[in-house]
Amino acid sequence: MEVANGASTTTAPVANGEREDQGGYKLKFCTVCASNQNRSMEAHLRLSQANYPVISFGTGSLVRLPGPTIHQPNVYPFNKVSYDTMYKELDGKDHRLYTANGLLNMLGRNRQVKWGPERWQDWQIGIPRTEQGKDRGHAGTEGGIVDVVFTCEERCWDAVIDDLLNRGSPLNRPVHVINVDIKDNHEEASIGGRGILDLADSLNKAAKEERDIMGATTFDMASAASRMSFDERVPEIIGEWQERWPNLPATWTLAWF
Amino acid sequence: MAATPQLSVADQIRQLEGARKLVLKDVSYYPQVIQATLPIIGPSSQVEFRRWGSEFLAEAFATPAVPLSSKETLSLVVLDTLKSLVEDPKQDVLVLRGVIQAAASIYPLAMRWIVNPEPRRGDPLDISRNMVPPNHPALDGDQLEAEASGLLDRMLSALEDETRDVHNPLAGRMQQYVERLVRSRAEIFDENGRKRVMVDQTSAVEAKRQRTATLSSQPQIEITPLKHGENSLAEVFTFTNNEAPLAAKISVRTIAQLDTEILQRAIGGVRARLAAFHEAHQQPINPETAPLDVEEDDDDYEPDYYAAEDTEQLMNKLDSSPSDERRDLQAPVLGALTLPAFKLPPPPTLDPEQAARVGQGAIARVFGTMQTLEDPATKKSKAGLNRLAASSYDRDSWITVITRLATRANAGLDEISVKDEDSALALPTVSMSDSIRELLYAYVLEDFRKRIDVAVTWLSEEWYKERVQQRFTSPPGQPYDAPANFEKWTLRLIDAFLPYLHSQDKILTRFLSELPELTVSILARVNTLCRDPSLVNLALTSLYYLVMFRPPVRNIALDTIQDIWTEYEDARPTAAKYLQRWRPGFVDAAQQGARGASSTPVGTNGAVVAT
Repeated sequence: MEVANGASTTTAPVANGEREDQGGYKLKFCTVCASNQNRSMEAHLRLSQANYPVISFGTGSLVRLPGPTIHQPNVYPFNKVSYDTMYKELDGKDHRLYTANGLLNMLGRNRQVKWGPERWQDWQIGIPRTEQGKDRGHAGTEGGIVDVVFTCEERCWDAVIDDLLNRGSPLNRPVHVINVDIKDNHEEASIGGRGILDLADSLNKAAKEERDIMGATTFDMASAASRMSFDERVPEIIGEWQERWPNLPATWTLAWF
Repeated sequence: MAATPQLSVADQIRQLEGARKLVLKDVSYYPQVIQATLPIIGPSSQVEFRRWGSEFLAEAFATPAVPLSSKETLSLVVLDTLKSLVEDPKQDVLVLRGVIQAAASIYPLAMRWIVNPEPRRGDPLDISRNMVPPNHPALDGDQLEAEASGLLDRMLSALEDETRDVHNPLAGRMQQYVERLVRSRAEIFDENGRKRVMVDQTSAVEAKRQRTATLSSQPQIEITPLKHGENSLAEVFTFTNNEAPLAAKISVRTIAQLDTEILQRAIGGVRARLAAFHEAHQQPINPETAPLDVEEDDDDYEPDYYAAEDTEQLMNKLDSSPSDERRDLQAPVLGALTLPAFKLPPPPTLDPEQAARVGQGAIARVFGTMQTLEDPATKKSKAGLNRLAASSYDRDSWITVITRLATRANAGLDEISVKDEDSALALPTVSMSDSIRELLYAYVLEDFRKRIDVAVTWLSEEWYKERVQQRFTSPPGQPYDAPANFEKWTLRLIDAFLPYLHSQDKILTRFLSELPELTVSILARVNTLCRDPSLVNLALTSLYYLVMFRPPVRNIALDTIQDIWTEYEDARPTAAKYLQRWRPGFVDAAQQGARGASSTPVGTNGAVVAT
């Protein structure tokens, strides 16, 4: 029998609710999809509800939303138009249509998360993000870098890796880039968001364990598994996660900022 | 800002974070904040402060928000602290990581500061040994290079020092891999069982069942008690008078259309017969042949639809049985219930020639299958981690199978020649591996633009196999002369498709960048492209791509560009442009040499190499 995604997830479900902040060390995350609207924003919301520092981007050239026909999409530039503006514009254009296809619902959610869609390629990595204080998941992202990037589609993963190579790694800082393949519809985005949160939890647990080991002496006495650094453990953690989420195929690489 | 000793560690870290937020808002505060925090994060402070401090410094020297000139000044302030942190042999690993990141960002700044080259052009973070003037008072280029390669060796040795014992830090991971393999194996067996319940098949059965449903309003089966005396297993399961051969012929159709009630009744009948039989013969169960989960005192026979033993148990049982004979069907199942012995007739003997021919036939069929699987509609039936190679039965899977068959199946056997009595060669003259290679070669060339990925997969397998073979067969310190199939077939493929390239072809660049290894002879083939003036640019840009993106072959790629400059007049402007950056002085020297000697400009590779 085909195993359902997340069949044996042990973490408590976070349906629509916020998770209580446990404090402690937190990895910084970034979610990426094509238009920074559906999949990356769903995951952005989930991760922020679990109190992780998180930012999100899109890798496309423009923000594209479905229109009345396939030939009439609603197209916006990145970084310039807010989710709120898009919401109001579409609501005014055709309230029924954009309610029926879920766009208003999505934009309504997004405008509660942050101001507007941001383009990955325009992100100035390492420039402090102090102006985005109202964004969900902002706390911890002030330094303008993250530890893990989740992309939601292989095309986006390629674009991210390609872009990082082109930037020439001026920051000397490693970053895990993980693709979690999610189909671009509301339902899959919701499942994908849960999957990404589960993976984030697993990764953060390992990162916390690494920080609990202090100094070189204790490092030598630790068990084999805990002696491995967080970075070394990432592929294993993704492998174990993949068994829990067989329908969200993952790809991973270590890249540099 | 000052951390008073009365505050808890957490409170002090919170204060430090406040200071960090301040500089993130306005980077002009960095000098003050760094000055103020250095005493708090020094080597004798608590680990929390050292961790915070090393990360803070790593961030400060990485962020593009601070101008390089300020970073240069700041670096002089922090170097002592970084040095004392990194030199503590018991330093916390995360502190070390932060310090190393900070040091990596400072290195180019410090290097430029020490060298102090007059004109600052190009990327300020781009540094090179070439920047160090020969008589620099502090830096010795050769020494730098030696230090660098020493450091690289140490880093790489971490990959090689892997000892295989239980204390190996990877032991846990290995164990996990083994377990995962075991699970994959179980899944494979599981999947075989599952195939029979494909959706369309069941629905077909259901359609048929609807037709026959009216016929079987009452189960048409008569259950008779077993006759006394000896009964064979076949007789226990027989309720009809059909002859066995006829029953065998119709069994598949019958089972497909069988009414559940009839089946239930028949099963009940067999169960009743066996129960009656058990009562008559209370004999101990032969532990050698009984299913593992049946206790000796358990006479409550409950047949079920699952395998009595799981895969693991079966494997154990097979492993521990001393000989093959034990597994045949002659062993009686239960006392008098004997199953007649059945032995497959022995296969006809094959001579090597025939075996080779049959092998070729099988391979030809795989290629035939690959042709029909061209342009898979469902690309990537299963993606993600934890995949098994060649498990999706698409074109890629077959390519994996066929390339591994060619490269690994009889690796090391090719070189052994077996002679028979008359000392004539008993093996077929063409090895199977080579004939697969010929077929792969032809397959790629049939449509090399589309199938270049096949070529890369295949050649990567060749390369990998040669590496593994080299590692396991060569005595230490001695070069191993494994058949160099990687280079041989790479050259053959290049030779075959080079004549068809046109000036806009990206295929060559792709092929060269994806091959696992590049040699001087492979690149020399690229050189020959320049005979056609329209292909000069293609050859040079492909090589330049290697110079930029494959540092390990940068030198031989530059050598090849030099050769092109020397040999082809047409190529000089472009070649000179590329060489200017990486081997400045070569062109000047070569031209001077030409003017001076007014004969052939330069010799072979590296004869004139400017540093």
